[in-house]
Amino acid sequence: MPSSHKILLVDDNLLVLEMMSKALDREGFRCMKADSAGQAMELLHKDTPDIILSDYDMPEVNGFVFRQQLMDNPDFRNIPFMFLTSMNNTDLMLEGINMEAIDYIIKDVPIPVIVSKITNVLNTIREQHQRSISELSLAAVALHLDSVPQQLPKVKGFKVDFWHRPFQGYPGGDFIDFIKIDERYTFIVLGDVMGKKWGAWFFSFGFLSYVRAAVRLCLYEGDLSTKSILQKINTVVYHDPVVSEVLSTLTLILVDSENSQVSYSGAGDLPLLYYNHQEGKTSHIQSAGLLLGLREEGDYDEYILKMNNDDQLFAITDGMTDFEAAGRKRSDYFSFEQGIARFLGKPDTFTAIKTSDFLAQKSREQIDDCSLIFLQKAD
Amino acid sequence: MILRTRNENGILIAEILLKEASLAQADQLKEEMIILIDSEPKNLLVDFTMVEYVDSSFLGAMVSSLKYAVARHTDISVINLEKDIYDLFTLIRLDKVFKIYADKAEATAELNKK
Repeated sequence: MPSSHKILLVDDNLLVLEMMSKALDREGFRCMKADSAGQAMELLHKDTPDIILSDYDMPEVNGFVFRQQLMDNPDFRNIPFMFLTSMNNTDLMLEGINMEAIDYIIKDVPIPVIVSKITNVLNTIREQHQRSISELSLAAVALHLDSVPQQLPKVKGFKVDFWHRPFQGYPGGDFIDFIKIDERYTFIVLGDVMGKKWGAWFFSFGFLSYVRAAVRLCLYEGDLSTKSILQKINTVVYHDPVVSEVLSTLTLILVDSENSQVSYSGAGDLPLLYYNHQEGKTSHIQSAGLLLGLREEGDYDEYILKMNNDDQLFAITDGMTDFEAAGRKRSDYFSFEQGIARFLGKPDTFTAIKTSDFLAQKSREQIDDCSLIFLQKAD
Repeated sequence: MILRTRNENGILIAEILLKEASLAQADQLKEEMIILIDSEPKNLLVDFTMVEYVDSSFLGAMVSSLKYAVARHTDISVINLEKDIYDLFTLIRLDKVFKIYADKAEATAELNKK
């Protein structure tokens, strides 16, 4: 059972509440406890559990009324709900089932049975989710809606690769694009629409279209500066009421194969990590630009970096720096840097990173979309 | 409610009552912030004391509240950021758009100078 499953337990009997939560904690669940429907509502406004287990028989607001309140609230209606009861009354059970309660748990049943019941429910729900996601993903593929490339670009004198894991398997807000202009110039685009899952995914296409349009416009005008491109995208986003409420980061890198250099501009993105092979040192390249659409003038700048053989550059989204440890979520850029440090400067750095424990753990602890782009100067 | 507010010496302080501030509460935050900003305070201090983790969706809601506030001449400052969160703010340049103070005392002293 994944340790991250959260259960909201609601029971006015504090002894039952404590015993159940202790037993479920031991089984690897995390319990939120409420001794009344009112308190449960307060907790629900702060956090969303994977499942709710509620007693029927409570003073003031009983389990049925509580269930009805949840069903009336679009935010809570779809949280799986089970009645917890010491009574084995068929009429009551029938009434509960009519309220879309998934099942009943009789309090006297041994804990392992309760655990397996909860686990079964959560597994069934997860399987259904995955089925729906894969159907939607198939539809998206059929419509050629991809927010990450299906192929790696061939860039003369450079190796380019990426790693991307959407949060919980849903297409999300991270987007990646490689725009090859000619044999000399290739743009690398990495963005993160603030939000998760389908909503963010939808907007990622809007942002990708703006990026592509701005690149083409600047190209037409003979201006290949990443700063000018970012400024153009920002102006459009800022003035477009449809996307201006949705914020996005953007990392824009132009690879110039002829001069072995890259230019970089960023909008509210995390710093690039640069490994200088000759010196064996890593450093951060931080741009000055603000999130797209935040202000009309986004303070964009442009950083030019000459890359020598085996120099490496990493661009990431914040999912790479977020993780969950000991039941606590954290966000730490430096943990990413430390995590990949031992692979830097190796002949096959990116393959080693992709198959490393570090990324395996990242996938397990994932709490947001994760994207990592790798660029290496090669002979 | 995910914000608990109080008024101290003419400064409106809104404390975020969450340990994990993420997508699930992002819309709620924005709704509550808009109500506060509509009361047209000159300064609004958002207190992160309880917050251990913020995801980008929640930050997005903070930033869009800020956009709303700027148009209504309310200054938003943030106080009591945990180190990870402070680092995140500075890494993605949110320190350029939010005033960040160590705590209420520092914020009050600075804001009263103006």
